[in-house]
Amino acid sequence: MAAAESLAVDARGLTKTFRGGWLGRRRTEALRGASLAVPRGAIMGLLGPNGAGKTTLLSILATLLIPDGGTARILGLDVVKQAREVRRRLNMTSGNTSFVWSLRPPEVLEFYGRLYGFHGRALRTRVEALIEQCELGPHRKTQYNELSTGLKQRLAFAKSLLNDPEVLFLDEPTLGLDPDVSVRIRAQVANLRRERGTTIILTTHYMREAEELCDEIAFIKGGRILAQGPADALKRQIRIGEVIALKLDPVEPAGLADLTGVLDVRRHGDTVEATVDAVEKRLPEILRWLHEQSAVVRDCRVHEPDLEEVFVELAR
Amino acid sequence: MSSLAEQSAAFRRPPASPTDGLRAEWTRTWAFAHRNLVMARRNIFFVFELAFWPGVAMLSHGLLTRFLELTPQMTAFILAGTVALSTVQVCQLDVAYVVLFDIWSKSMKHQFLTPTGIRHLAVGSWLVGVGRGLVVFALMAAIGSRFFGFHFLGAGPMSLAVFLLGCFLCSLIVGLFVCALVVLFGTRAETSAWAAVNLLVMLSGIYYPISVLPGWAQTVSRAIPLTYFLDDFRTGYGFAGAFGHPLAMGFGLAVLYLALAHWALAAAITRSRRTGLLLKLSE
Repeated sequence: MAAAESLAVDARGLTKTFRGGWLGRRRTEALRGASLAVPRGAIMGLLGPNGAGKTTLLSILATLLIPDGGTARILGLDVVKQAREVRRRLNMTSGNTSFVWSLRPPEVLEFYGRLYGFHGRALRTRVEALIEQCELGPHRKTQYNELSTGLKQRLAFAKSLLNDPEVLFLDEPTLGLDPDVSVRIRAQVANLRRERGTTIILTTHYMREAEELCDEIAFIKGGRILAQGPADALKRQIRIGEVIALKLDPVEPAGLADLTGVLDVRRHGDTVEATVDAVEKRLPEILRWLHEQSAVVRDCRVHEPDLEEVFVELAR
Repeated sequence: MSSLAEQSAAFRRPPASPTDGLRAEWTRTWAFAHRNLVMARRNIFFVFELAFWPGVAMLSHGLLTRFLELTPQMTAFILAGTVALSTVQVCQLDVAYVVLFDIWSKSMKHQFLTPTGIRHLAVGSWLVGVGRGLVVFALMAAIGSRFFGFHFLGAGPMSLAVFLLGCFLCSLIVGLFVCALVVLFGTRAETSAWAAVNLLVMLSGIYYPISVLPGWAQTVSRAIPLTYFLDDFRTGYGFAGAFGHPLAMGFGLAVLYLALAHWALAAAITRSRRTGLLLKLSE
């Protein structure tokens, strides 16, 4: 019970099938028993290829979709039976968010602020604070359809903070943004957790973003969560090994890939990357073998596989 | 993982969003009303809805009564129908717009992500619709009175107030059903926002008594509240009423249909959440 209480998100065995076409004969299984547990105050990265079920999972958790099976609780509240109370305490934004075109940024925020029950001075103060925080001040007179993509994203992000949510879902919040805007949004996400203790689930295609922000990563594919845990633990769990990057002369001596413990050898320009099962054991062996082959080692670096490699491995 | 557990314990705070109460209820209702007002102020087409079409309808129907050399009593019969059509049309459009604005701008999911209810969007948009309907009525009354000698207070102020209330209730009902259709079928159903009222008023005896309709159509007419409100208003101009207790029937049916329309929209939203259409309408 205590463990369940410490979870902001507790989804178990969620299933969802979409029906389309004539008489609903075309079926798309978007979720096939997805389970996800996110502790309060954590930032969880939800990664997966296109069509993996990321948005469907977030939409169910945000009460926008009703699952076919399974259960989901947000802050201990059932997302189907207690949807109204859940909505009061969460918010969501996505990379393709849109608002009523002819409204201006303060009007958009005031509209949704009122729907959360804010009024009078409290509403005005909150809207002004978010306009300032998201640097929308110079654009307060611009209608939504005349804002740039980056400004629209910032407005969407501001809207998602209106009710000071305890749980926040960000569905590809930096999609298609300039690097400087992405950096600012990432900084704000990190601040939210640090200053407000907001639990955040973030879907992204940018592995660097996930590694930078997230305490834990969940990989979803085919409607199922394949793995969940801290990035480092996932890398170990997947056992895709560590990488020894070598600059050699000759560049790629024949036979390197055949050595014991060498899982993969790839060449990137003048660098050869050998993925090995245990670097402490294999590095001396490889260096010894290279010496025997009369190969000159110009540079040698060891690094862990990045999250992208884990992603590729899991997405296979 | 243990560090996350420690963080979890530290992050317990009360929600910032206000709890329910009368003030919060009104605030949510006002949100929709205010948005409709802002949109009405900013869109030139709303001027057409408010002044152009009702004005054209009143003038053309008034001129038709002149051409046909109708008596003042018959003129009142026809122009009462013209007013009913325009006020119901304008008011129900405001209710339909509450969903259509979000459909057109693909922002549907955001309002359903908030703790708002059907009553808020219905009443909020309806209040603006009532305001716009009254403006339309005032315009038409001025034209009717100035050019065609038709006095809308001829049946008495109470009779007029009840008639307008009946029209506005019918607008709310039609608007909610249109919203349900749009939520259920998406943009394919948006033409119902303009078509539904015309069908309704045609069957309500807008320019004629329902006795001229075929038998099956008269049965349908008797199930429409507007039929009774028109009948009651016209008795104030000396026409024999077709029904015994038109106001009781009209308001009784209106309450019944309001409950049905609310249920229909709630069911449509639930179905839309189930099928995923709510998300598709936001993409």
